[in-house]
Amino acid sequence: MSFPKKPGGKGLDVLQTLPRISLENLRPEPGARHRERRRGRGQHGGNRSGRGHKGERQRGTRPRLGFEGGQTPFYLAIPKYGFNEGHSRRPQYKPLSLKRLQYLIDLGRVDPTQPIDLTQLVNARGVTIQPLKRDYGVQLVDEGADIFAAKINIEVQRASEGAIAAVERNGGVITTSFYDPISLDILIKPVPFFMRGQPIPKRMLPGEDMVPYYTSAENRGYLADPAKIQEARLALAQKYGYVLPDISVDELYRMLATRKDVRQIFFGLSPGWVVNVTERKILKPTDEKLLKYYNS
Amino acid sequence: MAVSLLCRRTGSFSIRLYSRKPALPPSPHCGFLLQTACYNPKPLKLNIRDPYIPDKDSERTPEWQKTAKYDRKLYGRYGSASGIDPASLWPSHEELDKIIAEEKEWQPSLEVMLKNIEARENEEAEKRREKEKIIAANMAKMPQMVADWRREKREAKQKLKEEKARREKLLAEARERFGSSVDPRSPKFLEMVAELEKEEKKKKKLLKRRLREEQAAGAGPTPAASS
Repeated sequence: MSFPKKPGGKGLDVLQTLPRISLENLRPEPGARHRERRRGRGQHGGNRSGRGHKGERQRGTRPRLGFEGGQTPFYLAIPKYGFNEGHSRRPQYKPLSLKRLQYLIDLGRVDPTQPIDLTQLVNARGVTIQPLKRDYGVQLVDEGADIFAAKINIEVQRASEGAIAAVERNGGVITTSFYDPISLDILIKPVPFFMRGQPIPKRMLPGEDMVPYYTSAENRGYLADPAKIQEARLALAQKYGYVLPDISVDELYRMLATRKDVRQIFFGLSPGWVVNVTERKILKPTDEKLLKYYNS
Repeated sequence: MAVSLLCRRTGSFSIRLYSRKPALPPSPHCGFLLQTACYNPKPLKLNIRDPYIPDKDSERTPEWQKTAKYDRKLYGRYGSASGIDPASLWPSHEELDKIIAEEKEWQPSLEVMLKNIEARENEEAEKRREKEKIIAANMAKMPQMVADWRREKREAKQKLKEEKARREKLLAEARERFGSSVDPRSPKFLEMVAELEKEEKKKKKLLKRRLREEQAAGAGPTPAASS
């Protein structure tokens, strides 16, 4: 004759008999708190207080870092070469790994059912862009490509081949586009820009050195030929060994196919419009000259 | 997303909430039930009830509050309550002309840029091809040049050997004649060398004469025999 087992068992008994949790019953995990090292106190901290025996070490008069006792130090002996020349003028791109992107999507900070833009990423606090530090946007890095599983329409400024493959393997769309520094500043902080009362400016084209990058289909540039991009998608699928899913039969095809115009900064807002935050109004210019300029 | 952010920041007097679906465990497949988080942004203190709009006519307002830039910011903050004509927010015709001229000068169009890039690449390709041609031509000449150089080296070596042999012979002659080794720089040696050279010249002349006589003798009897 076997007695029926109580659900919970011994654990439940113990829980019911133990006293309630209070400060008296709590103690940190062993190894969680490390004792502070106090110098000049006690047998081990006192005497020379961890400074050693006599000399510059104990007396704190050691020479500067890199000094080699009078011999020409290494950092002066090696001749200069222009490795870092013009480093402060080089465009920088904040990295965004696919692992982090998946993390943001899983936590619900980024909405995969809408086109993902730099504004969305900054709103979700996924990346922090500093346009004043020569940041020209965000670059997609292929760390976490093996765990990435989200169908998204994402627009970044640079992307590695592995990242492009990972996005397209899951049936998504990736585009690389260029934002000049003023447009970038507006893109990452739209509300302070609208408070300035200025009309939305046109996005400028990239410089001559970046035009080859944004016109090539391998990088999914926004200036590239759509037919060539399709070919490149097939070629990449063959290279990385996956079957390219057909997005035209997808239910979210319209969302995946939305792309910004070359001169557009925001989805749904054209250059030349003034957005007023207080009154929820958009003012559009009617003068032909202005319209011609903003639509060129 | 930007619109939702806007509505949230102006939450003080507008209560237009977008309906957030109930908290279901988000899965990548049922996309429309996904709950997206919104950060609570800092409250936008627009100060609409008591706006400060500077008096343009009085002298006490600072100069910077009468500029067009400040007017735009006023409009951006207070909207039509600021009393600024919205048409002034866009650039005037003259300013627009300036902007267009600047853009034409500093921002070339995509076609122009592509042409420049192509031209530059063609130039570089040309230069490389020229260089490669020169290199190929020179490489084709290489075996000949190598053979020439080797020949010259051999000849120089041979000449040196011959010189040495000649000097040795002269020294030997001198020793024979004078009985002891003589310094090649002394005048005795030089006289001896001069004598030897004279004798050699005479011999050569005799040889030449003999050859010519033989040739003449050979040429003489043969036409006589043939005719």
